[in-house]
Formats: sequence, C-alpha cells, structure tokens
Amino acid sequence: MYSDAADNKSDLSTRVNSARLVDYVGKHVRLACKALQVDGDRITVEASDGGQVTVLVLKNEPIESTFLEIIGRVIDPTTVQMLACMNMGSDLDMKLVNDTIELIHDPRFYTTMFC
Amino acid sequence: MSQYDNNYYGSGGGGGYLQGGSPFSASGSPGGMRRSEASNSLRPFTISQLNKASQAHTDAEWRIEDVEIGQVTVVGQVVSIQKQATNCVYLVDDGTGRIEARHWVDSTNDDEGSKWGGIEERRYVRVTGGLKNFGKKRYINATHIRDVKDPHETYFHILEAIAVTLMIDRGHPANPSLASQSKAGQNTNLSAYSAQSNSTGLPDQFGHLPPIQRAIINFIISQPPQEEGIHVSAIAKAIGASGEGAHEISDALDKLMDDGHVFTTIDDSHFSVSL
Repeated sequence: MYSDAADNKSDLSTRVNSARLVDYVGKHVRLACKALQVDGDRITVEASDGGQVTVLVLKNEPIESTFLEIIGRVIDPTTVQMLACMNMGSDLDMKLVNDTIELIHDPRFYTTMFC
Repeated sequence: MSQYDNNYYGSGGGGGYLQGGSPFSASGSPGGMRRSEASNSLRPFTISQLNKASQAHTDAEWRIEDVEIGQVTVVGQVVSIQKQATNCVYLVDDGTGRIEARHWVDSTNDDEGSKWGGIEERRYVRVTGGLKNFGKKRYINATHIRDVKDPHETYFHILEAIAVTLMIDRGHPANPSLASQSKAGQNTNLSAYSAQSNSTGLPDQFGHLPPIQRAIINFIISQPPQEEGIHVSAIAKAIGASGEGAHEISDALDKLMDDGHVFTTIDDSHFSVSL
C-alpha cells in the first residue's frame, strides 16, 4: 500500500499526536489530523492535541475530507512525509482520538498491545 | 451447579454486580487457570496482541498472557487482497502489526458476492473469526469481514481492546450505580414479583428481558443452588401466584431457552440459569 514499508523493519505505524512525533523521527506513524491549509505539495494540519504539523504530500493521494489519517514517515518533530492518506470524514471527535492516543502510549499498554 | 458456589452467591451481599458472569471476569485469581468457556467467546484485540499469542502445540488453545482466547475481532486497514479459487486472503494492518485474514469461499452460496464483494484495499474493516496456524504462518480464519463506516469505530475498538485487557487483568470494575439501577427497574417493572425478587438484584445481562422472563430468572437464581436445577412446577407456583397463566409461563420459559438464558438439567422439567 505504501512503497517503503519493506525497509521499515516492522509493520508498525503507531498512532501519534504532534507532541509524540519527537519520539518517532525516522519511523512510520499514523497521524489523525484536521487539514488547515493546502499549499502546493505540503499541507498544514492540526493534530489531535492541537499542535500544527507540516505534511509533505504524496501525489495522487486523495485529500478529500476535513479530517485525515496520514500514514507517513516522520522527518522531524514538525514534519511528516506522507506515504498514504485516509479520508476520515467531516466529523471526527479529536478529543476522543487524543485520549485514545495517550492510552496507546501509556506504559501499561504500549509494549503488550501496541508494538 | 458448582458455578453458583463461586460466583453469584460468592460475590457477597449488596449490589447487583455479578462476579464471574462473563468468561473473562475472574472469580478467582485472574489468568493462569484454564477457561474452557473462553473458546466460545469473542474478544477485541490489537493485531500486535494476536502476533504475541502462543500455542502449546498445534491443536492447543491460543493463549495471550496466559489467558485462553476464543474468537477474535480486530479493526484494521486492508493492505492487500488475494483472491484464490477456494479462499480469499486479506492482509490487515491496524498500526500495531499485520495479520492475514483468510476467508474460505463457499461457491454454493449466492449471497457471498454481496457479502464479501464490498471489501476494498485501503479501507478500514472489522474482521471476526478464529486464530489459526498454517505452517509457520498465523492467520484469522474469518467468519465475517465488513467495512468500517464510521472512523470512530477504529478508536472505539482500541479503547475496547484496552478495557477488556484491563478487565481480564483485574476483574470487573465495581459498579455502584448498577445496584440502584436494578432496584429501580424492579420497582417499576417487577413490583408484582417483588416478593420473590432477589435482594441482590438481577445481573445486568438480563435487564433487557420482558418482566415475566426476568421474574423467572430472578426466581431461579434466588433459590438455593441445587445440582438438578429448579422444577417447572416450583417456577409455575412462584410466578403463577402473581396472576400469570401456565401458558404464559411456559412460553416465557421456551423463549428463555431459545435465547440460551436457561437450560434444562436432569430432565425437561428442571431448569437452571446460564450465567
């Protein structure tokens, strides 16, 4: 589905918000976000914790809805290279998403359930 | 009925909260013990958890963190679809790992096309089925795959998987509101039967039943536990005292049996409640 999955040792694409990107530089993530501004080959999005992230867009990926799930590789803590984009509709409860992400990264669950 | 000894009555006094009613609630120490009823249960997982599951040998039950698992359900994205003559393989990725979901095609069934045709690559799907091994490869023998229509379902599934894992680890959370709820429910719906109603209230799982069916369940579990269950005449006497005809009681018992809430024990006239 996304081209360079094979060179990422595992199949992990952890769900993150903007604050967690710093721990995933060079790795694959799933970033649920709201598209704020489209500017050529990059879009500015708001992650579930309210932080802004720049996403380098992949051609031919459909960006059709307000809320998106970007599957991408983290270039630096504020920039993600898109590998795939899922449209998540016009109504996504970002507080629920962020609470879920924080639970995913809770040390009680992370190693047994999410990686 | 040894189950009564260690769950319903064992939960001790107040509250309608049932310790040990579901296959996952631990009445004794959680984990470690064999739970054969788990093989018929359905539990939400992340794919990472399924990839960590282990089997003692190829015919043994699957275990995750030493808890037996039965049917599984996961929510993930379809990465690839391989249609073959006898089966269809979907590679599913939920962000925590990937697993194959294999669906065996039943060529005699015309409904198959409409039921399975809608699954496309990249879409989020919910897959339900049993975990299987084929050679070294692990896959879900899918009994059901469907599109996820609402993106919140993905997050719901993650939260549900966490909640269930926590419950298995620690037992059910205490639910103080349940006691007052089921008390209130009895006052409005069961006033005719309040003489027989159990002071600890009905387990939550029966809350949706019609009053007469609840009264029967209520009566059976309020009786002292007996191996042979409760005779139908005792049920008829107790419920009939409040004006229900024998016919209604018999119908209600049939319905309860059809739904699996009660079962016959030593013969067709003795009943017990499946908790």
